[in-house]
Amino acid sequence: MALSDTTSSLAGAPGSGIYREAIVKWAPLLVLLVLIAFFAIMEPRFLSVRNFARIGISSAPALMVAIGVTFIIIMGSIDLSMEGTVSVSAILFAFAFLALGGTLASWAWLAVPMALIAGGFIGFLNGLIHIKLKIPSFMASLAMGFVGTGFALLLTGGDRIRIEDELFRSLLTVRWLNFPIMCYVALLFVLIAWFIQSRTTLGRNFYAVGGGEELAHASGLNVNRVRLMGFMLAGIFYAVGALLAVGRIGIAETATGNNFMFVSITSVVVGGTALWGGIGGVWNTVVGVLIVNVINNGMVVIGLPGWLQDGVLGLLVIAAVVLSTDRKSVSFVK
Amino acid sequence: MSFIKAHIETLATSRRNFLLGSAAGLGATALPGFRPALADAHGPTMAWSYRNRSNPYWNAIASGGEAFVKSLGADPEELVHLINEGSSEKSLADVVALLAKTNGNLALAIDANDGPNGRPVVEAVAEAGGYVCTIWNKTADLHPWDFGDNYVAHASWSSVDPADKSARIVFDAMGGKGRVVGLGGIASNPPAIERQQGMMNALKDYPDIELLDYQPANWDTQKAAEVMGSFLTRFGDIDGVICASDTMAFGALEALRGEGLVGQTKVGGYDGTKQAVELILKGEMSTTVDTNPFWAGGALLSLAWHAAIGAFKPSEEPQEHREFFGPSIIISEADAADFKANYIDSTPEYDWTDFWGPTTPAL
Repeated sequence: MALSDTTSSLAGAPGSGIYREAIVKWAPLLVLLVLIAFFAIMEPRFLSVRNFARIGISSAPALMVAIGVTFIIIMGSIDLSMEGTVSVSAILFAFAFLALGGTLASWAWLAVPMALIAGGFIGFLNGLIHIKLKIPSFMASLAMGFVGTGFALLLTGGDRIRIEDELFRSLLTVRWLNFPIMCYVALLFVLIAWFIQSRTTLGRNFYAVGGGEELAHASGLNVNRVRLMGFMLAGIFYAVGALLAVGRIGIAETATGNNFMFVSITSVVVGGTALWGGIGGVWNTVVGVLIVNVINNGMVVIGLPGWLQDGVLGLLVIAAVVLSTDRKSVSFVK
Repeated sequence: MSFIKAHIETLATSRRNFLLGSAAGLGATALPGFRPALADAHGPTMAWSYRNRSNPYWNAIASGGEAFVKSLGADPEELVHLINEGSSEKSLADVVALLAKTNGNLALAIDANDGPNGRPVVEAVAEAGGYVCTIWNKTADLHPWDFGDNYVAHASWSSVDPADKSARIVFDAMGGKGRVVGLGGIASNPPAIERQQGMMNALKDYPDIELLDYQPANWDTQKAAEVMGSFLTRFGDIDGVICASDTMAFGALEALRGEGLVGQTKVGGYDGTKQAVELILKGEMSTTVDTNPFWAGGALLSLAWHAAIGAFKPSEEPQEHREFFGPSIIISEADAADFKANYIDSTPEYDWTDFWGPTTPAL
């Protein structure tokens, strides 16, 4: 009897509780569907496959960056270094790619793993500064982001580097089933991230740290190690985002990282991952990135004047957060 | 597009059509006479004050300044670089410090970082007896002629006329008819406003061209790619896209590349970047506009220096020689190769005493 009592309380109260939980779980997706329906009614061409491919192209790099920061946010920390990390990874990739032959068909393919290592290394530094110097992740990562942007500027002197290799650019130019390859690459990394989140100890530890750091620590978890791994993993995903960003516009420059901070953090929150940690995950972020990009694309497609778009984006983001996060369990917001 | 050829010829033949206004006795023969004075350690200190050198535009400005110093037979390192890093306070403090160090024996060219900072800078220089030229930032009520000789000149660049001309190149490439979209800079930036205005002016002469929409893409390559993608959804076939900067043109171009439309949809940019010129040569872009910062870097410093050594009296010059628009070069497919050879692969030899020669019509 005692046992069944425990299980029933674990599963949550029957009736309204389960109903509410289901709504909370699926709310971000509902928001996305409502937005798609809204834009489709306003302008039927929004619903075309080619437009979805365009939304896919604009989402893919941001999605990788947002997934990286999702792990950090699940831990209840924040990482604001993505703009610097993306720029540095993109530029190091471009330098290495051109130096090693300038086409994927040569040794230049090595530039791809090198970029991922660079991203992971910056994330590692980021985490090390956060943990060892005991600086809040907000400040440590923001500062590292500036260092990254400055380093990127130092490397390029303000120049942009063009990557014209057709094989690499096939990320954008070659399509399977109407979608460019970069969309499939992004999907592959979403699956990898999902695997890490749900099938590895590391993934579970992210939730443990985010759900209650003291408890996790008391249970014998090396919290600092988990944090360090988290920041490294995030750095690697930022580098994947950098590669897709370079693939999309064929240019690596200091500005490659621009805007990724706003888009990724917004997407994570809109997708229903809570900034206080422990709640949400990779699929929430996928939906969140799509919500933000559907709004951006849809506003132009329905012909909203440019001067209205920033304001409307802000309001829609607030509305999406209100609808898609479970705030009932939160007694105060900081 | 003989504009460029004429422009280059003008420079090459060193025509001194406006040379030193009416300053008689300052012909070509008199110039060598100045050279010993330059090498002389007692000549005025030369300085350029600007944001920083990591930006290609300011790097070209600084290089132009160094080229002028070199043309005097001096070591380019003698040019003092005052780096303000975007701070008006630092900009002014550095100028005041240098004035104190040089006892006012200073020839300064400066971008004061923001409009209101122009006045304190000019007043400090004038009070110390130095000579200053400004570019870009000053308020509308600040004029060189209100400061006698010490505030030598101010130069800025208008985008309206060049944007008009470059839009026409895109419209002509479209065959004078079709559907066009525009990508603008940050809506409140003066260059963004001027460049849109220039395009609108050109549009009046093309009744068969329809402007579908004009949206800001905030000078950003990735944003431009995304907005261009949305335009393609909304409008389907688009024959041309006018971008207020090369950075945005690159984004629009890549959105077109993703759809296999490069070459079909004509792309116009602005800023005369190296990559844009190369894309014009490849036939992927139609036009861009160069504002020649290298020339500005040398010419403005040269004006201040020649005023400082008394080679000409600024107060005797007409007002259009003291506040003027700098030159813009419109580059099209026909002259991109010339431009690349003369301005990118090599640096033109300028006659730094031909102050007002290469400029477009003055204010």
